[in-house]
Amino acid sequence: MARYLMVLLIMLLPIEALAISAEDVVKKSQAAFHYQGKDFKARVVMKLISKGGAERVRELTMLRKNYGESGGDQKFFMYFFQPADVKDMTFMVYKYPAKDDDRWLFVPAINMVRRIAAQDKTSSFVGSDFTYEDVSGRDIEDDTHTIIKEEKLGENDCYVIKSAPKRGDVDYSYKLSWIDKIHFLPIKEEYYDRKGELYKVFTADEIKDVKGFPTITKRQMKNLQSGHTTEVAYIKSDYNIGIEDSLFSERFLKQPLKKWIE
Amino acid sequence: MQKFSLVEFSVEHPKLIVVLSVIVTLIFMTQFPKMKTDTNPKNMLPATSDVRVWNDEVDGAFGLYEDMIVVGVKNESGIVNTDTLGKIKNITDEIMKIKGVASRDVNSFPTITNVTAEKGTLRVAPLMTDVPKNEAELKAFQKDLFDNPLFLNRIISKDGKTTAIYVPLEKGSNGKEIADKIRGILKKEKGSEKYYVAGDPVSRDTFGAEMFKLMAVFAPIAGMVMLFVRYLMFKDLFLSVTLMMDAMMSIVWSMGLLIALGFPIHIMSSMAPVFLMAIATDSMHIFNEFYFRYKEKGNKKVAIIETMQAVGRPVRYTALATAAAFGVLLFMSIIPVRVFGGLIAFGTVALRILSFSFIPAMFMFVKESHLDRASKGEDITVGSGSKLLRTLAGAGTYKAGITVAIGLILFLISVIGISKIVVNNNMVEWFKENNEVRVADREINKALGGTSLGYVVAISESDDEYIKNPESMRYIEGLQRHIEKLPMVGKTFSVVDYVKRINRVLHDDDPKYDVVPDTKEAVGQYLFLFSMSAKPSDLDNVVDPSFKKANIWVQIKTWDAGAMKEVINAADEYKKNNPLPLNLKPAGIAYFNLIWNHEVLWDMVKGFVFALIVVFVILVFNFRSFKWAIVSYVPLVFTILLIYGVIGFSGKRFDMPISVLSCLSLGMAVDFAIHFVSRLKQRLAESKGSLTDALLWTAARPGKGIMRNAILFASAFSVMLFAPLTPYITVGAFIVSMMLLSALMTIIYLPALIVLMREWLFKKV
Repeated sequence: MARYLMVLLIMLLPIEALAISAEDVVKKSQAAFHYQGKDFKARVVMKLISKGGAERVRELTMLRKNYGESGGDQKFFMYFFQPADVKDMTFMVYKYPAKDDDRWLFVPAINMVRRIAAQDKTSSFVGSDFTYEDVSGRDIEDDTHTIIKEEKLGENDCYVIKSAPKRGDVDYSYKLSWIDKIHFLPIKEEYYDRKGELYKVFTADEIKDVKGFPTITKRQMKNLQSGHTTEVAYIKSDYNIGIEDSLFSERFLKQPLKKWIE
Repeated sequence: MQKFSLVEFSVEHPKLIVVLSVIVTLIFMTQFPKMKTDTNPKNMLPATSDVRVWNDEVDGAFGLYEDMIVVGVKNESGIVNTDTLGKIKNITDEIMKIKGVASRDVNSFPTITNVTAEKGTLRVAPLMTDVPKNEAELKAFQKDLFDNPLFLNRIISKDGKTTAIYVPLEKGSNGKEIADKIRGILKKEKGSEKYYVAGDPVSRDTFGAEMFKLMAVFAPIAGMVMLFVRYLMFKDLFLSVTLMMDAMMSIVWSMGLLIALGFPIHIMSSMAPVFLMAIATDSMHIFNEFYFRYKEKGNKKVAIIETMQAVGRPVRYTALATAAAFGVLLFMSIIPVRVFGGLIAFGTVALRILSFSFIPAMFMFVKESHLDRASKGEDITVGSGSKLLRTLAGAGTYKAGITVAIGLILFLISVIGISKIVVNNNMVEWFKENNEVRVADREINKALGGTSLGYVVAISESDDEYIKNPESMRYIEGLQRHIEKLPMVGKTFSVVDYVKRINRVLHDDDPKYDVVPDTKEAVGQYLFLFSMSAKPSDLDNVVDPSFKKANIWVQIKTWDAGAMKEVINAADEYKKNNPLPLNLKPAGIAYFNLIWNHEVLWDMVKGFVFALIVVFVILVFNFRSFKWAIVSYVPLVFTILLIYGVIGFSGKRFDMPISVLSCLSLGMAVDFAIHFVSRLKQRLAESKGSLTDALLWTAARPGKGIMRNAILFASAFSVMLFAPLTPYITVGAFIVSMMLLSALMTIIYLPALIVLMREWLFKKV
């Protein structure tokens, strides 16, 4: 079905390209990047690499379930394998558009679940160069989007979208995204700071087809100013596995079911 | 004999010599547009020096910045009000837009990470995301601010009146330029708040910039003063200008050579023009003698050649001694010290070549009628200056015993003074008491933890993750408390402070949990939790990714290099009493300053000692007598001892400017003794008169040259006493007193010594 749709999309492309608006591109990109499938599971290895080359590794299983349309509510569940001393730590997020997330964390050493405030979406995700927004997506309405050009980036024909935040609540003044015209995944993103200088670059380094969904399985975010880089690889990933609602509860935070986390 | 032929050649072909001199000068001048400057005193130690490599390594491992500016904001009626907080937010925002500022790691109310618990929800977020608008919000903010022990003395003073914005700089940014931009932002804010901009990059780069400016202003002023004083002495503008040109040419030659060789002009070499101007005054002796000779002979050409025969040898040897005193610096280990030594040595040689060519040539252009008028006063029996000198020398000659005894007493007192000298360098103190750089530093240090920053890096000898062990945590905590006992340490913080904070906050802010938890897992999970929301740098700054190393920040309230030494001693002591497989190594800018202080200053001291030896050897060669070398060495050593004695008593520290002056003082002070003794011996050989007569004649005639030299020098450098930076005042005071003292020493003390020791001195002669 998906493949069929894709073919249709490709056929429509020349006409699409002429007519499509920046908002449409961003919406399609959001759907392709953050809302693909009904649910999603991945075993994620994150390498946090300092300027000097020292690495910290984070390994986790991430589960996501959509509630409603693209751009709607989502629930996330994360179970950490690495670093070793955080094994069994779990993290849960209820994501709502246009509203602060709800977040819970289970700290096994003191056997305690704590709610965590989520006021600052632009803070680092587990010490990486990705922000929480990078992981779960940013509300489309928070930015003004414009197509500034169309160009080929490597093999990919892309729209180049400039997204400027409407409020100064983030640490960049605007972002340029190279969004593939076929699968609408971002191939590259450039973040410009308040001085107008490029300081963060996102690249999608490997895109694979998983159950018919083009999925970024290797990506990296490089902070040019601090020299810090984060590499993320999905070593296993799957869509539409039928995650139950009950997973996203305090009980399972403390004792997650093996079938979901492995 | 070659030198004499150079003089004769110059007298025969004066035009050719002048034209040649000008052409050579122009050639060197063509190099000037290529000039590069380096105002950063840090570069006195090369980037490959151990301390810089180690500091870079620490900076890399913990994502730290070499340089940080501290902006203090003070409101007498307290910081916590909507208006002041709004300004702090504005200022922080604006500062983060400045190019060269590492914006992502600026720490201030709106950006610093806070960990709190509200109604069971853990919050890791910037302290002030929005400016509090009403009483309730202000109260909540006040509580947040004072509840977190990480903030106290760091971003808020105990009395709540002062806060600080910590502004790290990207590598290679100019601290003064950024400080100026910050001051521009602060200027726009109205109201009763006071603002202070401090930190090592501010003082360092401001000093560097000011130094160059002062050199550009001062060197010409000193030159003009010299010109004026010379005119008063010789009543001939043309000859005064000649002397001046002599100095200028050597400055152009040596600076030109330096630039041509591709060296940047460093703060040390920027002092070269003034030094060369000082050294050039030695040609005063040629003028002095020329006027006397001209009066006797009435023939210009004969007078010149005879003058050069009489003073040629001492002038050559004084030049040799000066060149050698600076030349030894070429063998030191610090490159700018070497460059400086080589530069001055070259300049000195250039000056002497000019003394034997350019100056005699220029004499040929002076109208004889002018000379007649000018040299009228040059009679050792009539001239008032000469009379005074005879009297002074008489005191030494007739009351030799008392003179030497007084000298001995002064000598002993000086030695006591010298034993009190403290070797220390504090760049903030290079600014005057009320200079904004110094005021800012003082005010911030009074209210907060300190503008100077050192690190103590704890390095595990064993496995990874060692830092996460509760015993390492407690060890670091104990070390912090131990270091904090030092009076000038205002604040320390480490990864332990985050761990304790999170432990407490997770347990409903119960003070009982303000401790290190009992298990490694708990420490690891707390830190992970912290890193889930904090800025990456928060954790990076205090612990390395493998948890093998922890970095303890030590804020120090003074830039004295010695303060970091005390921190290191305290850490060593703690380690001895608390054995754990953790090595403690110092780092940071405070540590750099300590090493800089040690390396640069001791390099200069070493150079000075070598120069003392070399100068003595030259004296032995000059007089072909060990005994005479010792005698003429005495005024030099005595002058230096006296000055350092005074420095010791005054509590002034032996710092960079003083150390540079040591070599100059040596090169200059020895000149007078060389002139005096050489001429005395010449006189004795020529006149066959009594020793007393010869001594008095020497004091009156070449002595006048010595006195003229000293006064000229002293008057030019006294201008420096009005400089806005203290090192210049030091340099001015030092040179003025050194010149006058060594001249007096030579004229009073040398005759006394010679009289007392004549048996021994003249045994063979």
